[in-house]
Order: sequence, then structure tokens, then C-alpha cells
Amino acid sequence: MRHVKRIGMLAAAAAVIVGVGACGGTSTTNSPSPQAQLGGSVTLWAEWTGAEQRSMEAALQPFEQSTGVTVNYTSKGSSISAALGSAIQGGAPPDVALLPDPGTVQTLAKQGSIKDLTNIVGSLASNYGAAWNQLVTTNGKLYGVWFKGANKNTIWYNPAEFAAAGITSTPTTWEQVIQDAGTLKASGIAPFSLCTDIGWPVADFWQNIYLKTAGATSYNSLATHATKWTDPTVTTAFTTFGQLVGQASYLYGGVRGSLDNGYPVCADKVFPKPGATPQAAMVFEGDFVANEIISNSANYTPGNTGTGGATCTTDPSKTPCYNFFSFPAPAANSANSGAVQGAGDVAIMVKDTPQAQALIKYLAGPQGASIWAHLGGFASPNNKVASSAYPDPVAQAIAKALVNATGFVFSLDDLQGSWEKNMWQDLLNFIKDTSAPNIASIQATMEQEATAGLGH
Amino acid sequence: MAAANTESRPRLRIRLPGRAGTRQRLEEGGNPEGGFRPHLGSLAFLAPGAIWLLAITVYPLVATARNSFYDGTATNFVGLRNYSDIFSTASILVTFRNNVIWVLVFPFLVTFVGLVYGVLAERIRWSTAFKTIIFMPIVFSATSSALVWRTIFDLDPHIGIVNATVQTASDLVSPPGLYPIDSSAGQTVNGLASSGVGPGPGGTLQSTSMVSAGDVLTLGLIGINPATLKLAGAQTAFVPSPSPGSVTGLVWRDFSATSPDARGQVLPDEVGFPGLRLTLTRSDGGSAGTAITDSRGNFHFDGVGSGKFLVQIDARNFRSGFTGIFWLGTQSLTPTSSLNQTARALLSVPLVDVSMIIAYLWIWAGFAMVVIGAGLATLDREVLEAAKMDGAGEWQTFRRMTMPMLAPVLIVVLVTMLINVLKIFDIILNMAPGSSQGDANTLALAMYNYGFTGLGNWGLASALAVILFILVVPAIVINLRRIRG
Repeated sequence: MRHVKRIGMLAAAAAVIVGVGACGGTSTTNSPSPQAQLGGSVTLWAEWTGAEQRSMEAALQPFEQSTGVTVNYTSKGSSISAALGSAIQGGAPPDVALLPDPGTVQTLAKQGSIKDLTNIVGSLASNYGAAWNQLVTTNGKLYGVWFKGANKNTIWYNPAEFAAAGITSTPTTWEQVIQDAGTLKASGIAPFSLCTDIGWPVADFWQNIYLKTAGATSYNSLATHATKWTDPTVTTAFTTFGQLVGQASYLYGGVRGSLDNGYPVCADKVFPKPGATPQAAMVFEGDFVANEIISNSANYTPGNTGTGGATCTTDPSKTPCYNFFSFPAPAANSANSGAVQGAGDVAIMVKDTPQAQALIKYLAGPQGASIWAHLGGFASPNNKVASSAYPDPVAQAIAKALVNATGFVFSLDDLQGSWEKNMWQDLLNFIKDTSAPNIASIQATMEQEATAGLGH
Repeated sequence: MAAANTESRPRLRIRLPGRAGTRQRLEEGGNPEGGFRPHLGSLAFLAPGAIWLLAITVYPLVATARNSFYDGTATNFVGLRNYSDIFSTASILVTFRNNVIWVLVFPFLVTFVGLVYGVLAERIRWSTAFKTIIFMPIVFSATSSALVWRTIFDLDPHIGIVNATVQTASDLVSPPGLYPIDSSAGQTVNGLASSGVGPGPGGTLQSTSMVSAGDVLTLGLIGINPATLKLAGAQTAFVPSPSPGSVTGLVWRDFSATSPDARGQVLPDEVGFPGLRLTLTRSDGGSAGTAITDSRGNFHFDGVGSGKFLVQIDARNFRSGFTGIFWLGTQSLTPTSSLNQTARALLSVPLVDVSMIIAYLWIWAGFAMVVIGAGLATLDREVLEAAKMDGAGEWQTFRRMTMPMLAPVLIVVLVTMLINVLKIFDIILNMAPGSSQGDANTLALAMYNYGFTGLGNWGLASALAVILFILVVPAIVINLRRIRG
């Protein structure tokens, strides 16, 4: 099956490679001729299936062609970390794996189950910012190479609504977000469509605020429950969040309407399908919102100009646009403004073979990532991936924020084990009542649940 | 009456022919030969079934019970910690509360409605059509029924038929204003005031300064969407010139996209508020005239005489229409705001529970009707007629004869529905919106959520399963007793 797909992919990939070449992507990895005789094969595990798997296979084509190494790709879905753990203990682990979880990388590195990449990657390590390498470094040794990143640091806005409210530049501080919300309200549109769903979008929002007010170090400390949920930094995050959600008239439908706002319906309120008009100007969620917007109408143009340079319209059947700005920090915490909440896939080496080493080097370089970037739905934290590799200005900006991240953290709720859903529920309770006594009560509940859920 | 009861019972008793037959065969075949061999033979026949039963019922039961004393990954023994967590976590105590609500309300309600339908179906002309319609929901999957009901109860009156109906009625009684504010979304009339205008009595806005004849007032409002004004025919705002003996002025949208922070100035890209109803009030509060703004937002009160006046923008301009009841929300029907979190978890009755019970009633009323209808059909007519001969009225016959004779059937329905709602799951997962899931949660759903979604906690999920099992056992015992007769 896979081979049939690959043949189909070959033409597309070849076309893309030409495209990358034309874009002037600097190839710092394997030069084809010396390794052409390498041959053999390498096994690779990753979580991607379907379209993402096809994109990954396309990204590996140049590697296979230039080295003669066959990559045997196996998709392990979202359970890849568990699958790898048990394969290492007593099975047939792959040579190389792409893990969506740096915590597992750290654990495996401490166990000595994966190889030190410091010397293999060498100077290619400088393709990543310190924040990225630090996540996969144990005892001064580098154990992973980042390949794909996701950005949850994105507040999406409808440029036509911003223009109608006379907002010409996007906010760069949290205070400006609140101020612009006031302007949008005065212009007669709900500033925010707050995604609540079963609580995870509220958690993403809250985590961004915590990251921007308390910083990445505190964030990671809270994630492991080294910082208690009753800590003053947690209170500050709630109070800051309350500056927005405590103002019912800043939210589409008020508190009640917000509680009825599941994902992706909440995004559709800002970027509606043709036949409807926007009900709100901004919506917060990760970079995946772009997929929802485009699926609502192909008319939506990334950036602040409509199709063919036309002015952005609120009417989705004409020339609507979409754009985002990075989640800003409060002015007093501007040091945290470069910290990014997101996700990513990091390549690790389980078996040390020449083919595996070659693949790691290839993944650390920009070539494969550039191909997937062209295909869309991809952002790389690799600073050697040219901006021009991305199909549109929004995708470029998402990747740029990843590359320039001064701190990078993963979703905190996903690290909370069995009390994750309780945490979501607690955050929904906060939306219902943002008063100080309720914040204190919620913090006490969260502390108790975290202790019970994590066992410490 | 007691006699009537026992008389009717054999007819209604559910017989399990297979089971009785097996017993008979064992007795017949076992006795003449004696010894062990026939037992071996029957054991051989029993083995496949027994192994199957062991593998899919007994083993999971034992394994679940074992896991309930282990941690989230089912590897480390933690004693009773899962159970103590369950009874000390407010968000899990909510599931007990909801199970209690369902168990106390639903079985009785569905039995009652089934009885009414059953009696009704016996007496009306198109009874087959009636029964078919009432029974139909049971053939739909609970998931699709839940999704249909979610739409029916949707908050948005453009989607939910219940709110649409209420809205239609509400708009007839008190129609929304030309520029309705959504008070349920936190909007206020006072929030619309921008310049030259402030809060007035009774939800009105009024000019901040007193005026007299010959004065020109400019009243700026914000927070109204330009599209709404365009629909009302708004044109560029224009400050009228003073007119002797009249109070003139302008009400306009005091918001310009070119200078969004400028307030109080009438800018070229700002439009008037058409169709606003205004009242000129004297200092004693009495009315000195009314006016309606034109498409440029202009108004004039002519021949006002001497004295000082205020211009009031009537409350009806901004009257909020009906914006929907959040039927699937978690607002409690019992007053619990003063309670602490645990007490609130145990004592509140969220509206979403009521909405889901209505939906579930729609699904199961047909089943109750059919079972009860079958019971009604087997009732001894002679006894009923004898009662009538003795002078019992319609209601008396029903209350004193039909009901007792029907009691076994009613109990079957009641117990079946009791077991059904103890493990209620799919309607909640699919009908309650995300933010209500936590407050509508039940034991079975919590078990699923802890066990199979996210990162999971097998220990906690197993403990919940064990508790659920213990709660279902009495109902099963009652049902088995009834089946045995």
C-alpha cells in the first residue's frame, strides 16, 4: 500500500523539491554524491497518518534518493510514546522515532534507552533556538532534533472587523488587547468569541496567560506540580484572565453564550460560512484554527488584504480575510512575550546505525521540513527553513514565532493525568464567576485535585 | 382485590421456556441411571456456555474489582484510595447527584406517561397510528435522538425550536426595540451612552444638559453595529441649525473607524440614528412633546415654550428581545449559590438534567406504553365489568381494579427503566453541550471519561464501575425474583 502511495507521491514531491530549490533553500545536510552508496534501510516511527503521513513521506523523498536508504515508515498514532516505551523494553523498536512529547525524550535519555546526538548533529544544533534544544537536552547532551512544531500562541482576528473599528495595528500587550476589546465593543461588535467546549480551549487560554504572566520556568514548575495551584502566580493569571472574561459584554453572547460555544463553532462566529456575518472580532485557539477558517470558505485569504489586493470584507462570500497576532504579555511582564505554548515532534535515535545517523542529520536540516512546509499544515522550529517555503504570510508568521520562541512550553493540561478533565471543569467554573472568592475557592479545589490526581 | 391480583399474575409472569426445559431434562435424564456420568455429559454441554460466561462476564468483573484497588495504570496497589478520591472530589460527587435525580424522577415519570398512553391508546380511534408514532423514537439510536434534542433545545432561537417558539410568543407580547440590547449577554442601555447623554430613569437615556427653545443638542451613542444602522436606513450624521421656539438636535453613532478614540465630535464618516423615539421632559419629569429621529438622526420639538428641558431617548428603543433560555445550561433549579462547593455538587439540580429527562422520556415512553398496553389487554374483563356492575365509577375502576391488577407490569417497567437510567450514558455525552458535561455527568459517563479518554485512570474508572455495579445489583435481584415468580 505504502509503496503505491509513494509512487503517486513521487511526482508531487519532485515538483516540490524543484520549488524549494528555486526558493534558494540552503542545503546544509548530506550532499548527494558521497552518501549515494550508503544504501540499506532505516525504520521510522511517527504519529502521523493520512494526509500528514503522505506529507512526511514526500519530505523524506530527497533523503531516500540521495542516500539510497529506504525509510520504512510506520504510523503509531497518538499512542506512539507508549508504543515506543514498550518496544524498547521488549520488542522491536525503530531506529528513529518522532515523538510528540519531550517529557518522554527526557525519561528515555535518563534510562539510556536512546542515543546521544550531540556529535551526530554537531553544528546543525544551531538550526534551533536555545529554548528548543534545551527541551531535549539531558546532562548537557542533546537527545533530540525538532522537526514539526505547533503554535498555540495565536489570537485570530477578522481584519475587516478590526478595520471597521479603526484598529490599524494589532495589540502587542495584554493591556492593548483589553483596550482594543473596548474599541471593538464601541464599534458594535462583540470583541471575543470565547471557545469553551468541555473546557480545553479555556485551559489553552488560561495557560497562555499563565505563561505570559509567570514565565516559562514557573509554567513548567506548575505543570509538574512543584508549584502549588494556590500559588500567587496562579491567582495573578486568574485575575488577568478575569480582565477579559469578567466583562460579559466583551464576549459574544455574554457568559451564557460563551458556555454554549463549542469548538469549532466559536471560530465560525468570527469567520463564518458564506451567508452569515461575523458575530465577533477575535477568537483564541491554536494554529489549527486556520484549517477551520479555510474549510468555512475558500474565499478566506491569509493576511490583511483580500483576493487580488481587494479590501477585506466582513461578508464571507466576497473577499474575507483572516489573520492572527501572537498572544501578548502584560506590559509589566514583557520579558515573557517571546514564550510560546505549543506542541512539537522531536526526532530521537534508538539504534545507532549509519542510516539512522544520516536520517537524523537530514531531519535536522531544512530540506525535508521545507517540502512539508510547501504542502501546508506545517510549521518548523528550524531557523534554516526559509520563510518563502511557507505558502502564505500567516503560515510564515506562525513558523517565525516558533523559530524565535525565547521559551517553549507544552500544554500543561495534557501533563495533568487523570485530573485534566477536573481542571477543565474548574476553569469553566471560573468563566461562570470571576470574583476573587471564587478564584480562591477554585484554586483550593485545583490544588486538592492535583494532589489526588498526580499523587504528590 | 387480592384475589384479582393473584389471579392475574400467572398470565403476566414471564416464562423462560429454555430454562424450565433444561431443568426438566436434567431431572428426567439424571435419575434413572444415577451416578456421575450423566452429569459429565451435561457438563460437557454446559462447558462452552460456561467458558464463554467466565471469559466475558466473570473475568472482567473480577479484573475490574481488582483494578479498583490499583493506580491509574493498574500496576501499583493503592488500597482504597480510588474510593476515597471518588467520595471526596466534588466533580465526581456530581455524578451521584445526577444518578439520584435520574433514578428518582425518570422511572416513575416514564411509567406514568406509559400508563397514560397505554390507557389512551385503548380508547382512541386511530390507536395503531398513535402507538406507532409514540413507539417510533425507540427505533432511532439514542445518539441521534440526543443530537436532535440538542438542536431542539438550542440556545439560539434561530436554531432551537423551543426558544424559537418562546421568542415568537414573547415578540407578540413585548416586541424588541429598533436597537435591542442583549441584556443576557451583559449589554446595558447605559453602555450605549457616549457623549452628551447619560443614564435616565427607567432604562432611558437622557441628555446630560438642560436645554431651552432655540438650543441644538448632539447626543452620541456607541456600541451599535453599523450594519444594524444601515438596515434602518441611516445616513451621514448632520447637526441641524438652531430654530427659534424649537429644541433641535442630532442622535448619531459616535464612532468613527478613521479615529476610533474620538468621542463627541460629529465626523464625516459617522451616521445618524434613524427611528429613535424621543421625549422632551420638563424638570418635573412631565412630557412636553415627543419626536422621532429621521434618517440623518435629526429631531425637533416645535413650539416648546419657555423653560428648561431634558431630551430623553425612550427605553423602548433598546428593549431587549427574547434571546433564548439556555435549556442545556447548568443553572440550578434549587437555590445553591450560598452553599460551599461540595454541598452545591450534591444539592443543585441543573436545568440540563430536566431537558435531558424530557428527551429521554420521548425515547422510552413508547416502550412503557407497549408493555403496559400488553398488560392492559390481558386484564380480566369480567372482573372489571363486575366492578362496574357493583357501581364503581370510571376512576374508581381504574384506581381500585385496573391499577392493582396491572401492578406487576408496572413494576417490570419501573425496574427496567431504573436499571436503564442507573447506567445512563449516551444521551448525556451527545446532548449536553461541552460546558454542561461536567454538571450533567453520571457514573457511567465518568467511568468512560476516566477510563477511555485523555490519559485515563483505570483505577478510578474501575472503582466507579464497581460502585455502579453495586448500585445495579438490587434492581437485578428484584427483576430476577419477579422472573422466577
